[in-house]
Amino acid sequence: MTTAAVEAIDIHKRYRGRDGEVHAVRGVNLSVSAGEVFGFLGPNGAGKSTTVRMLTTLMTLTAGSARVGGVDVATDAHAARRKIGVALQEAGLDPRQTGRELLVLQARLFGMSKHDALARAVELIELVELTDAADRRIKGYSGGMKRRLDLASALVHRPEVLFLDEPTTGLDPASRLTVWDEVRRINELGTTVFLTTQYLEEADALCNRLAIIDAGQIVREGAPAALKAELKMRLGLDADPTLDEVFLDATGRTRSRVAGDVQEV
Amino acid sequence: MFKDSLTLGGRSIREALRTPDSLVPSIFIPVFFLVVNVGQTARIFPAGETGFLKGQNYAAFQLPASLLLSASFGAAALYLVEEIEGGYFDKLRATPIARMSIVIGRLWAEFVKTGVLAAAMLLISLPFGIRIESGPLGFLLLLVVVSLWGVVFSGFMQLVALKTRSAAATQGASMVFFPLLFVTPNFVPRNLLTRPMEIAASINPVTYVMEATRSLILDGFDATALGRGFAVIAVTMALMLALSVRMINNYD
Repeated sequence: MTTAAVEAIDIHKRYRGRDGEVHAVRGVNLSVSAGEVFGFLGPNGAGKSTTVRMLTTLMTLTAGSARVGGVDVATDAHAARRKIGVALQEAGLDPRQTGRELLVLQARLFGMSKHDALARAVELIELVELTDAADRRIKGYSGGMKRRLDLASALVHRPEVLFLDEPTTGLDPASRLTVWDEVRRINELGTTVFLTTQYLEEADALCNRLAIIDAGQIVREGAPAALKAELKMRLGLDADPTLDEVFLDATGRTRSRVAGDVQEV
Repeated sequence: MFKDSLTLGGRSIREALRTPDSLVPSIFIPVFFLVVNVGQTARIFPAGETGFLKGQNYAAFQLPASLLLSASFGAAALYLVEEIEGGYFDKLRATPIARMSIVIGRLWAEFVKTGVLAAAMLLISLPFGIRIESGPLGFLLLLVVVSLWGVVFSGFMQLVALKTRSAAATQGASMVFFPLLFVTPNFVPRNLLTRPMEIAASINPVTYVMEATRSLILDGFDATALGRGFAVIAVTMALMLALSVRMINNYD
């Protein structure tokens, strides 16, 4: 039996919010195979980011268990972090460092020697095509450049699983396509990618399989083509449905509500 | 943890060198207070006729207050909260380092920055007739005391940053701690304060750090004053570190 790259068993997250207790994730089960690009979709506040934060050891699990690369994220968080690369919603970068310095620092924190860290930084700078900007301070980077640097910093230690939380939110169409290319290239090198997004065409273009979460629970899971085929058959549609229609059907939302959610970004 | 803390400390020092404007208040405001306070009160306390000045001028008595004021301008907590809000803090938390290294790294840098600024202030003050009675060794000890206090102060501010995750709240908290610097024997020794002020100063830990610092300038090596000063630093630092470990390890 092969070990799943990401596995979540009945995970829950409860926390105390301003208006009382919030049950943000309500018994999510997931299994992502090694080498997949797995999409995790859902409207705003559905529990996507909370799930990612639990899987990446940034947030504790209230209940259930999760493993990444076969390592339990709750009981062996340090080992799990060596298997995980993380690029969260905000490109989490230090604006006062240069791109190269940031990558070298990240590599040093993963235990690389100074020499190896410098060499790895050069490789990654070339990978994300930031050679000309490598020695400029990050505060002068465009949004797309920051995203690519964030991706590179998530890859310094050659993680088994790369978590990307809304990697193209706020980017112009050209920068979005560049990030898509990067994701494909990273995946071709053997890295499993776990991607959250609000853009359904992004999930359609990149993901082998996806899950839709709504109100903290998984409401659909499968390959995009299979989910569309299932909807077509169930509703007796003549034309092939889009992933948007699968999403609307799964979450019980109307078009205007979804559009509103997307605009909130 | 030690190696990772030093690596992150190096980054914080680089950050300070790239934002020299953030260091300006640490020098300018304490020197301003020193000049204004001495200008207003020096004639009340003439050098040769005021016993507690031990033969020095009033600026020597006021200097410790300015040094501790400078130590309380550390920007570590503001940088930390900026990283929390910007997401870089999570990037660091996702690495396999002991999470306490993130806090300690900034405190290392704060120790170095405060030491350099205190040395600059002392060197500026020497031509104005201030002597360090405890000599070169006392000069170094003075830097250590002030730098350690800077670390304690910044550490507590970092706790506020971790708890509130808000730049506004962190900035506000520094204003809460700020008055502690003035509930001290700032202008005259403790025995010359009014009784209520003497009681307040005696329960204020900053008093003992100020008296330790002042003893090195005016008296030489006063074991009692130094012992109390270091004891206050040790206790407050232990408390700050214990709370920091708890806070960052339970950060969710």
